[in-house]
Amino acid sequence: MESMKRHIPPLNISKSNSNLQESTDHSNLQSRFYSTWGSSEMTPPLTPQTQETNMDQLEAPRPVFHNYLRAFYPFHPAGNVSPSTVTLPLDQGDIILVHSVHTNGWADGTLLDSGNRGWLPTNYCEAYDQLPMRPLLKALTDFWDIIRGGCGSSLKDFGNQDLMRGPIAGVRFLLEKSECLTRESLLVRKYDGLRRIRKALLSDLSSLVKTAKKFQEVANGNPSEDEVEHILDEMLLKAFKIVTRGVRFLDVWNEEVGLSRTIAGMDGPADSQYDLPPTPASETFNIGENDCPERNESRMLESRQMESRQTTRSRMDMSRLSMRTDMMDQPPRPVSVSAKRISVSHRMSVSGPSAAICAQNLASERLGTTYDGFLGVLGSFIGLHMQSRSSTELVVTTKQAVESCKAFLNVVEAVCEHDTHRSVLLDQARESMCERLSDLVHAARDVFRPAHLPEDDMVFMPDEGKQLVEAATHCVRAAGNCLAKARLVLEQIGDMELEPENENEGDQEPPSDQSETPVAEYERRLPPPPLQIPSTTYSPPTPALTDATTPSSFQSHIANSPANLSAISSLPNSAVLPTHLENVSSFSSTESGYRESHKSDMGESFGRGITSNGSSFTYHSHTRDSEMSGLSQTSTRATSPDIGGSFQGSYNVPSLKESVSYSTLAEENEETEANILERTYAHELIYKEGAVMGGSLRALIEKLTAHQSTPDAMFVSTFYLTFRLFASPLEFAEALAARFEYIGDTPHAAGPVRLRVYNIFKGWLESHWRHDRDNIALEFIVTFAKTKLAADLPTAGKRLLDLADKVSAVGGPVVPRLVSSMGKTNTSIAQYIHPDTPLPPPILGKKEHNLLKQWKNNEASITILDFDPLELARQLTIKESRIFCAILPEELLDTEWNRKTGSLAVNVRAMSTLSTDLSHLVADSILYLEEPKKRATTIKHWVKIASKCLELNNYDSLMAIICSLNLSMISRLKKTWDIVSQKTKVALEHLRGIVDVSRNYAVLRQRLQNHVPPCLPFVGTYLTDLTFVDHGNQSLRTLCTDESEMDVINFDKHMKTARIISELQRFQIPYRLTEVPELQAWMQNELVRVRSNGDDTTTQLFYRRSLVLEPREQSRSATTLQSQDSNPPSILDNAKDKFDFLSWTNQGKVKSVPTHG
Amino acid sequence: MPRSNGESFLLDANITLLCWELVFLCAITGGVGKSCLTAQFVQNVWIESYDPTIEDSYRKQIEVDGRQCILEILDTAGTEQFTAMRELYMKQGQGFLLVFSITSMSSLNELSELREQIMRIKDDENVPIVIVGNKSDLEEDRAVPRARAFGLSQNWGNAPYYETSARRRANVNEVFIDLCRQIIRKDSEGSRSSSDPSRKREGPNRHDRKRDNRRPRKRGPCVIL
Repeated sequence: MESMKRHIPPLNISKSNSNLQESTDHSNLQSRFYSTWGSSEMTPPLTPQTQETNMDQLEAPRPVFHNYLRAFYPFHPAGNVSPSTVTLPLDQGDIILVHSVHTNGWADGTLLDSGNRGWLPTNYCEAYDQLPMRPLLKALTDFWDIIRGGCGSSLKDFGNQDLMRGPIAGVRFLLEKSECLTRESLLVRKYDGLRRIRKALLSDLSSLVKTAKKFQEVANGNPSEDEVEHILDEMLLKAFKIVTRGVRFLDVWNEEVGLSRTIAGMDGPADSQYDLPPTPASETFNIGENDCPERNESRMLESRQMESRQTTRSRMDMSRLSMRTDMMDQPPRPVSVSAKRISVSHRMSVSGPSAAICAQNLASERLGTTYDGFLGVLGSFIGLHMQSRSSTELVVTTKQAVESCKAFLNVVEAVCEHDTHRSVLLDQARESMCERLSDLVHAARDVFRPAHLPEDDMVFMPDEGKQLVEAATHCVRAAGNCLAKARLVLEQIGDMELEPENENEGDQEPPSDQSETPVAEYERRLPPPPLQIPSTTYSPPTPALTDATTPSSFQSHIANSPANLSAISSLPNSAVLPTHLENVSSFSSTESGYRESHKSDMGESFGRGITSNGSSFTYHSHTRDSEMSGLSQTSTRATSPDIGGSFQGSYNVPSLKESVSYSTLAEENEETEANILERTYAHELIYKEGAVMGGSLRALIEKLTAHQSTPDAMFVSTFYLTFRLFASPLEFAEALAARFEYIGDTPHAAGPVRLRVYNIFKGWLESHWRHDRDNIALEFIVTFAKTKLAADLPTAGKRLLDLADKVSAVGGPVVPRLVSSMGKTNTSIAQYIHPDTPLPPPILGKKEHNLLKQWKNNEASITILDFDPLELARQLTIKESRIFCAILPEELLDTEWNRKTGSLAVNVRAMSTLSTDLSHLVADSILYLEEPKKRATTIKHWVKIASKCLELNNYDSLMAIICSLNLSMISRLKKTWDIVSQKTKVALEHLRGIVDVSRNYAVLRQRLQNHVPPCLPFVGTYLTDLTFVDHGNQSLRTLCTDESEMDVINFDKHMKTARIISELQRFQIPYRLTEVPELQAWMQNELVRVRSNGDDTTTQLFYRRSLVLEPREQSRSATTLQSQDSNPPSILDNAKDKFDFLSWTNQGKVKSVPTHG
Repeated sequence: MPRSNGESFLLDANITLLCWELVFLCAITGGVGKSCLTAQFVQNVWIESYDPTIEDSYRKQIEVDGRQCILEILDTAGTEQFTAMRELYMKQGQGFLLVFSITSMSSLNELSELREQIMRIKDDENVPIVIVGNKSDLEEDRAVPRARAFGLSQNWGNAPYYETSARRRANVNEVFIDLCRQIIRKDSEGSRSSSDPSRKREGPNRHDRKRDNRRPRKRGPCVIL
């Protein structure tokens, strides 16, 4: 615990502080800061003894990234701060959306009040995580992610009103928790202040909803980029406004309602345990107060037009107090607000290793945390050396760096040991890492030498500094490489557990002896942090802000260069890294000179070099497993897209205060009131990129019958198609009925929603009813139609009853389903052919007709050579297409077609049978010809037929024919292929390329994508895809909420299934071709003839036949024979499969083929 | 391991030494869980949504004895009834995983037929093969005694036999790595002189392989797709 505290960055400032006391020219400002802090005097003395905090901290689990902070002290870095500076001035009570927290305690955040973004000191703030506000805060986070983090797809995401559900549900939750849900509620009527803020909150909300609607309209048109950007910004600001308003509401509520309740509950001693220090650094708070008596006078300097800070403060404290009582009904939360807050400011420094100890001991996790820890230390190391710090501090940091590196290497070592194959790469990476580290230590030692000389301010020569930076940079790079290799190895050998105590001693203890004294000293002596931070403005150890143009450097730990705060505020657009050596007093004078001389070499190379190598890597790895490690340095949200812009002060959004109109029109509020009151399960849905990925049944049903927007066609058809996979028909019906019921609480939405529910029932009965599965739900539906539905929508009830009657009477769906009911939109692109266009006439002359007639009378035998390839291809296509178009979607669900007995997938089965038969027919027609020349002619003919199939977009037949020509028994006929013309071979090669199985049928898929029906795709790819979607995706997903986890339906899996099926259905359009019944009859006869032998024996017969036609070369067959003799069990084991090509003559089935010796 | 060796590999890796290997999974009937095996192997653990329709869905890079190999897996899952298709796959495959379910004796018996077909098509007695008894998590439903499977393995020229559980992700990678190793070895033997047909006995969970044949040299023709 000590070690944790030691690393609070702002606390590290102790050393340089003494220097600063002398710089009197800043005293004005300083006193200003003192004064702002001084307002805490008015705070109710909620701060208890520090001891208690410590107890709590001990229990504090792994640090959590808090998305929201609330300023506890005002922060005005340098007088008139324009919004173009990168620091973010704060007023007490401000709410900040945090994007990332730097190792040094500074956070990159957006002030909700103004929409400005910048750096702010975390120790001025506390985590804002009040239970009633949580859903609303989460909604805003999501909102921000979609708008700012979305990569261009934002337009699509706003296609419906789903995005608005979050804020609406959030506000609703807040009002519900505060018992102010309706205007008539007791509290609202009793407290006027509460009523007013509630009203304002609702009007903010309705304003946001209106903007969203406007956005939809704009987006549906063809908006310019600027326009879209502008509206998005406006929406974001409005969302911010809602949150700030919500916070105010909660403050007021706490003051008016919570306080009295708390007082009422005060009798019990229970609250003492909740009375946690409200201030960030409460340990030093009281002492600090005594130290700074002058703060009272300068308080007047504060010029804020908002409500007075004292009020805010008291409200905030109040809220802390009273919300506790609110949370009484929650399970007790061991993590108190302040304990969490501390973890925020601590977690960036060396919390890595310490957190790793509490974390599970999975190697991958340990790897990540130790790496983070190391980088964190190294970051502050690099930062440190650039400032004129005392050598002891540098020694401590160096030592920490080595220790944390040791921890990291320990883990890597463990990984190595577990890796049985001893990855060379990892070994190497580790070795070079060790080398780099020793380089670093040497470099550091070199630097120290002059530092021991007394009274030498300019101890670090630029060259040596550079050397050190380089060494550290190499170290970072090597560590990154090492981590990457270790991860790779882990991926191969699988994750594993490590002993928990592995690095407990190693990196925890040593640093703590080193620095315990200074810290303790510091605590006793120094004023509290609020004083500290401003004072550090003039001293090097201030948290660093690096090159503003490279966003990634912000998120990395390494980019910890000591840019001076004042430098930044005076140079708003500065991308410079003022480096080391700058004496505090001489800073401003040397600044400009320095900039010119050193900017290019030091600043640039450092800032950019490291960023691109080490840190960007970390950043990525963090976002990727941030959920696992829970230690991620940045929030998991995408923050990069516009950091550069916003930090340059070009955050050009209209300021909130001017853009948001405070309209409180009555009718808007009515609507919002209604929105708020809607009961919803929207929080049980999982979204990703605007699509529903999962959800509970009731939430999905709610989505299905949403009233604000027409449900997505794909969503609805997925539901109809797949609901039986995740709910029984009865459950589905009941959930629909429940939706019908509870929407009654929301009068304005009840109408449309109930109609939708009815329509879903209707669609189900009309065209998606499956008698085998759904009949159990019929009774329930009838009852529902008779009672609830009839009561509300009499005509609808009657019609549903009629439908139910019909369904029970008729055997199939009442309304025959459109073949392409799923892909309606797709069918529209089918080639339009006027119905009067004549069908192409069959290419059959008199001769062919006569032949067919003779065949019918058993007077002649005919072969494929007698017919035109195109006509054969056409007839094959007609035959296949008929089966293909008959495939029902339910045949494709749940690998139905693979069921061994009682499979419903008759048509899918028929497809595979036909395809197999066709293959056999090809082989048969070739193999039962004695002369190689004839065989070659037949091959040529089949290749022609296949080409014609391709012209007809009949990939299924194409596949079957090519498969067959590829069969070993055909392809081994060397003599035959020698006669086949080069032209035919080239054509065959081309066709082979199209149906190539490699790269997951890349060629075939590519072609199908662009096809317009009619087309016969190869069904096999769909079947494989469906199988893998089914087996490769879980049926449930875990939805994590703040309180619990719940398993919800993995709707994404079903959407994927439905998408594949709809892709198949897209092609279920019959060909416009003329059927020739005689030819069909002959083909059918041929196909059945080759099938009669049964699959397995057929192939074996073919193979024997092939060997007879062109026997193996002697030597080859001899070895085969021999090896088989030497290996008899395999043959005996499976007598039925005996592979004995000499025995073929004994088989009576083989037709008149002359035997040969 | 000697430094130079590792470095030369590094060099190779940068240039070309990513070799594509085609692995073919076969079973005659569905329901032995081979698609789960493939899905488990191909997708990383943290991918929460698996899309089999994209080109890389069946591809994975693994390291086998210091070589980076890209395995492309051909899995007939779902198309078992298209018997004519099987040969098309088999022709392309360089190594074969014959998967059966330990809960079904018939699924084991069917492997013989598959093996013969493979031998026939590849016209080769020493095609890299690994026999896989899947669903080892369903021990209580075991219908195929281990001895029986081992017997088969011995009869088939000591083809390695593994028992896997796709559900528990047990032995999944091992199976593919073993097969890949066989393919690589066969390649190098083939380009030398394939005079030594006797294969080393390879039992399950074998981790102590010698690394004698790991000298860096140009690979024989590898199937680049």
